[in-house]
Amino acid sequence: MTARNPQTLMALPNEENFDFLFKIVLIGDCCTGKTSILQRFKTGNYVERHGNTIGVDFSMKTIEVEGKQVKLQIWDTAGQERFRTITQSYYRANNGVIIVYDITKRATFANLQKWIEEVRRYTASNVLIILIGNKCDLESEREVDFEEARQMCQYIPEILFVMETSAKENTNVEDAFRCLATELKRQHDSSNVQALDENTVQLGQSKPLKSCSSSCNLT
Amino acid sequence: MSAATEEQDRIQKRVNKILETRLEADKDTLDALNGLSSFFTENTLQNRRNLRSQIEHRSVGINQNFLKAFREVKLTLDAVCTDLDTMATSVQTMKTDLETSKALTKDLIEQTNQMQEERERLEVHQQIAQAFLARFQLSVPEHQLLYGTAKDAPIVPEFFKVLDRVQSIHSDCRLLMQCGYQTAALDIMEEMTLHQEGALERLYRWTQNHCRNLENNEIGPLIVEAMSRLQDRPVLFKYVIDEYAISRRAVLVRQFIEALTEGGHGGNPKPIELHAHDPKRYIGDMFAWLHQSIPNEKENLMLLFKKCDKHDISEQMQKALSYIADGVCHPLKVRVDTILSSEQDTIILFTISNLLRFYQQIMKQVVQGGSLEQCLIELQQSSEQIYLNALAAQVRSVLQRPAGTSLALEPPQRDLVPPASVSRLLNILKEILSVATMVDGRQADITKIVTCVIDPLLQSVQESAAHLPTVDMAVYLLNCLYHMQSTLAVFEYMDERVERLQAQSDAQLDTLTSEQASSLVANLNLGPIYTILQSNQTKIETNLLKIFMSKMDAFLELPDVLLLPQVQLIMSSAHRSTVQRRAFNVIVAIYKQIYERVHDPANGFEQPEALLHKTPDQVARILTN
Repeated sequence: MTARNPQTLMALPNEENFDFLFKIVLIGDCCTGKTSILQRFKTGNYVERHGNTIGVDFSMKTIEVEGKQVKLQIWDTAGQERFRTITQSYYRANNGVIIVYDITKRATFANLQKWIEEVRRYTASNVLIILIGNKCDLESEREVDFEEARQMCQYIPEILFVMETSAKENTNVEDAFRCLATELKRQHDSSNVQALDENTVQLGQSKPLKSCSSSCNLT
Repeated sequence: MSAATEEQDRIQKRVNKILETRLEADKDTLDALNGLSSFFTENTLQNRRNLRSQIEHRSVGINQNFLKAFREVKLTLDAVCTDLDTMATSVQTMKTDLETSKALTKDLIEQTNQMQEERERLEVHQQIAQAFLARFQLSVPEHQLLYGTAKDAPIVPEFFKVLDRVQSIHSDCRLLMQCGYQTAALDIMEEMTLHQEGALERLYRWTQNHCRNLENNEIGPLIVEAMSRLQDRPVLFKYVIDEYAISRRAVLVRQFIEALTEGGHGGNPKPIELHAHDPKRYIGDMFAWLHQSIPNEKENLMLLFKKCDKHDISEQMQKALSYIADGVCHPLKVRVDTILSSEQDTIILFTISNLLRFYQQIMKQVVQGGSLEQCLIELQQSSEQIYLNALAAQVRSVLQRPAGTSLALEPPQRDLVPPASVSRLLNILKEILSVATMVDGRQADITKIVTCVIDPLLQSVQESAAHLPTVDMAVYLLNCLYHMQSTLAVFEYMDERVERLQAQSDAQLDTLTSEQASSLVANLNLGPIYTILQSNQTKIETNLLKIFMSKMDAFLELPDVLLLPQVQLIMSSAHRSTVQRRAFNVIVAIYKQIYERVHDPANGFEQPEALLHKTPDQVARILTN
């Protein structure tokens, strides 16, 4: 048996030497290909037909960034509306968010505003967001131009960059994660001082009271 | 005068002389006198006168006696002389005779001598020729040994000695050739080659025949020797091995079937199929039997090849062994497949799959590259597939609500504890994981099994949690995750899975902390104050502070009252206290900010102690104890 941390029962395997741990969450409308992108990144395989994700799924992968081992905890969330309460739980402690839309479905692009609001509401202010337009192999069915996405990014300052990917043809998938990881590491390096109070809840960034769940009216 | 004197002298001399004579000393005289005394008895004149004649008379008589005696001697001598003459004559005759015959036989003797020499010479030749033949030819008994007296005469140990001799004669011929007897040497060599071929042909037929009839696998020294002789004839060698393998394969299959259906002698051990109702034992017994029998075959093969050291025959041996072992594939596969397709119990299926994997790995070391190996791999894979399918079906049946078709659990109850199905599935998982396995590759198996159970379970838990309000959802998920985590943590190879569950729990803990903190802020009327704090306004209404402080005092009296009811429903006390502690820490931090603001003289609060009468440290102490 490998050694375990007594508090968390987590394994402390010897080979798991990583310098940074970043949590990333994949969000976006249903059927934009979040699970495919993650599977492609994690295992290198592509599965044509995934079922809908139920709630959240979770993967880990360690990559090397600028000579450091960076472990990524990636949450793959369900796009379906009915799982929204569950998926929202997973936004909170994240360092990075990947919002995915489908370039062949304008509706998924139009919904981006809604997703960004979710992110603003539930995540810390220093979270890094990238936008991914998936299924760029289906050029003939394209409904969203890359230029359009670029322009939208100008108006939404939180979005770091936008990229078009194809999980099917393995285009830009690895790059997207790698760029995000690199940015996360740089952010971490530059804000080392701030990192000291990471353990406390950062008050300035908590959500407004009116968004508090209805079940907590304990007066 | 002178003459007279002279006369006188002479007489004188005479007288003197007589006077000087000493009669008593003269022996002759004494003898004469003595003789005289014998007959001259009386000294008378007469006698004196007759003395002379008497003496003379006596002398004549003596002489006459002499004469008479010598005449007799003379006569005898004459007779002897005559005899000698006769002898001389006859000797002379004989001598002549001898000379004659000698002359006559001389030729004959010469002839005889010649023949004798010839004979000796021939005798030497004969010895040489015999030695040569003994050295370079097979004797009749040897010949008979080599070719057998009857058509199907068995091989006897002496056969190999003769075969060795043929070989040695063959090699001796080289020497012979070097000595200059090329023709003879070549002839003999050819003859020996023929002998060798003939003998090996016979040996091959005998060995093959023997192998064909191997019933109890009695590999005697003769067969071993025969195999070592045949190894120089790859084709014959291969045929013999093939024959052996065919015969053993049939025997092995028959023995396997017998062990399955009849058991040992007199039903002890009992037939394996008697236990067909107990799949673990049935399959275990079958494999144990094979595991015992196949190494036996290997040993027999090794024995067969014991003296074959000239070439590397390991490949041939491996081939023969896998051919022998392949025979049992079919009966084995049919039986295992039957069991696998009829068995319902996941745990038994898992045990069987483990058993198959174990034996597959063991057998791989004994028999390589045959259809048995392939068959075992297939059985192992299909068993794995079957138990995973069975497990998935079982999971589905537990998770399926009677009416519904989608994966869903019983809806969460008001107490937010994991539904019974979660415990049922986790118990199934626990049972499977507790099955002792003895093979490598367990980790991959277990990961598959856990995935097969936990993934659908997590999905249905999330599905059923989806319609709950946030706090309820978080507590419900946390409870379910905790249940899974604590079940899995005690098993091996769960690290990654537990880590993933832990990460999910952490997310729910964050949600709960945030919800709890928000609820506290609302209940303590901190909302407006907090907004002011955020907005850099210096002034806070005293009234607000008073209301806050009275609520804060009540809260500090009984901190638990303001905990969300759902937080009390968290099963893990560690989780519960984490949520509580972190939420309280938020309040302590806000209180500290207010306290510092109020006590800052620059902000001009009157009687700050009256407004906030507890220091942040006091508050922290009360809340964290």
